[in-house]
Amino acid sequence: MEQFHSEVISCRESARDYYELVFTWKGPVPLPGQFLTLRCWDGESPLLRRPFALSAYDGAERRASLIFQKRGPATSIMTRLKTGDHMDILGPLGGSFPSPETGRRPVIVGGGIGTGPVLFLADALAKAGLRPLLVLGFRDKNFVPRVHLPLGCETVITTDDGSAGVPGTVIDYLRSRDDLENSRFYGCGPHPMLKGLHELALEQEAPCSVSVEEVMACGIGACQGCAIPVTLPQKFLRVCQDGPVFDSRILVWT
Amino acid sequence: MDLTVTIGNGILPNPVGVASGTFGFGEEYGRLMDLSRLGAVYAKALTLEPRPGNDTPRMVETPAGMLNSIGLANPGWERFREEKAPFLKEMPCPAVLNIGGKKESDYLELVQKCEELDCHWGYEINISCPNVKAGGLAFGTDPKQVETLTKKLRPLTRKPLIMKLTPNVTDIGEIAKAAEAGGADGVSAINTLKGMVIDTKNRRPVIPAGTAGLSGAAVRPVGVASVYRIAQSVSIPVIGLGGIFTADHAIQYLLAGASAIQVGTALFVDPRIPLQVLEGIVSYMEANDFNSLKDFHGHF
Repeated sequence: MEQFHSEVISCRESARDYYELVFTWKGPVPLPGQFLTLRCWDGESPLLRRPFALSAYDGAERRASLIFQKRGPATSIMTRLKTGDHMDILGPLGGSFPSPETGRRPVIVGGGIGTGPVLFLADALAKAGLRPLLVLGFRDKNFVPRVHLPLGCETVITTDDGSAGVPGTVIDYLRSRDDLENSRFYGCGPHPMLKGLHELALEQEAPCSVSVEEVMACGIGACQGCAIPVTLPQKFLRVCQDGPVFDSRILVWT
Repeated sequence: MDLTVTIGNGILPNPVGVASGTFGFGEEYGRLMDLSRLGAVYAKALTLEPRPGNDTPRMVETPAGMLNSIGLANPGWERFREEKAPFLKEMPCPAVLNIGGKKESDYLELVQKCEELDCHWGYEINISCPNVKAGGLAFGTDPKQVETLTKKLRPLTRKPLIMKLTPNVTDIGEIAKAAEAGGADGVSAINTLKGMVIDTKNRRPVIPAGTAGLSGAAVRPVGVASVYRIAQSVSIPVIGLGGIFTADHAIQYLLAGASAIQVGTALFVDPRIPLQVLEGIVSYMEANDFNSLKDFHGHF
């Protein structure tokens, strides 16, 4: 990890209340699943840096991307970022998605704010020739992001109301497929989606890694603010340092 | 220019430390900053037994601040000795161990154990954590208990003994007097203020424990006033903390009577802040012909 100065290349609305931010990257090469914290405003409110998972990295151009949702004061400020604006970045932080086990096909699901990191992962696995199944779920067509989808994947879009792609949730879709033996599951998105994925992975006796989100202070493992409950003896792990990607089997699912 | 701070038998190279609970045991931030330039690292609170910490979520942002309810999560004495103490021993700045406990004997036993090690410069005794059911605040709000505990700790070490005080009292000056009477070499103030945020949609506190500790810019005036009150009440050094984000904030604390300061929550905003604060203090001293930190005191 490094703390470095970054300039905004572009910031545009990619779906309703969702934005794609592209910016210069001077830090170590980030991997899919890793995140950064940033600050692009002065003053004491909003206070803390905000964490975001990366959605793409272009090593040749030294630029990275993330997808964020306009949710509160900090992300509202971010929606107004213009080309050339300055950001203070700390990254890359946390661990990355593990590689798929030999003989297993990557099945990657994402939705909502979890779309970014799965796009980064799908792109990396596709470039490695693994032809992942990428299933992205959204509430309705207005939330389907107009972003560059990775090549070399079998990509399926689902919407809850059927206004775009396959009607239903990503889990409904996966359960409709009969070719998921020997899958290797990955996910990032809303809690019900990840829980559904975890349960499917248990049934299939397949490995499953999920990237989770938690409110964060330091982002580097020092403060223990972003702890989540786990089934291990230590009871809690830090999302920022021990995650944000976890084996779904060690998380406590409620 | 003399930037050193004398507390009991110890001397800190400069007045800018980093606050307990925000800096772990130094390893993480050590990868981002030059620790050799810090006046001190006040380590994460340590208890005899390992503590997993409180239920989640443990934090929420508030206007110009944040609430935390970590619950003194720490690896406990045994793993501290094996895994954390070696790093502190090699660290190029003084380490202050922050000692927590549920009852008086916990504090005494832990300080005795820590005396076996040579990884640290001194002790900060945590009698002010608002996020644990036993110990913490229960000690820090009662002057009699503070004096008794300090008196029992005093003979256990020759290292500097600093009592960390809570602002959740009627008169923090009285608590500081009790620490001084018990033989403390200094006091640090303030620990976090008790606060609560309620989720109106779910109709329950955001933090499962209900109340949590408020820190950040929002608490700065409370911290400055507390340090001023303490400095008027005792003659031992005061270490000021609470919402220090810039050198100007640190200078407010020094002018209020602090001999040293700690940066805490501001680290989460920008890890460069402690060293920026130090540079700003030096610039202020140069501009005003101050020769030592004592020149900050007695202006009002």
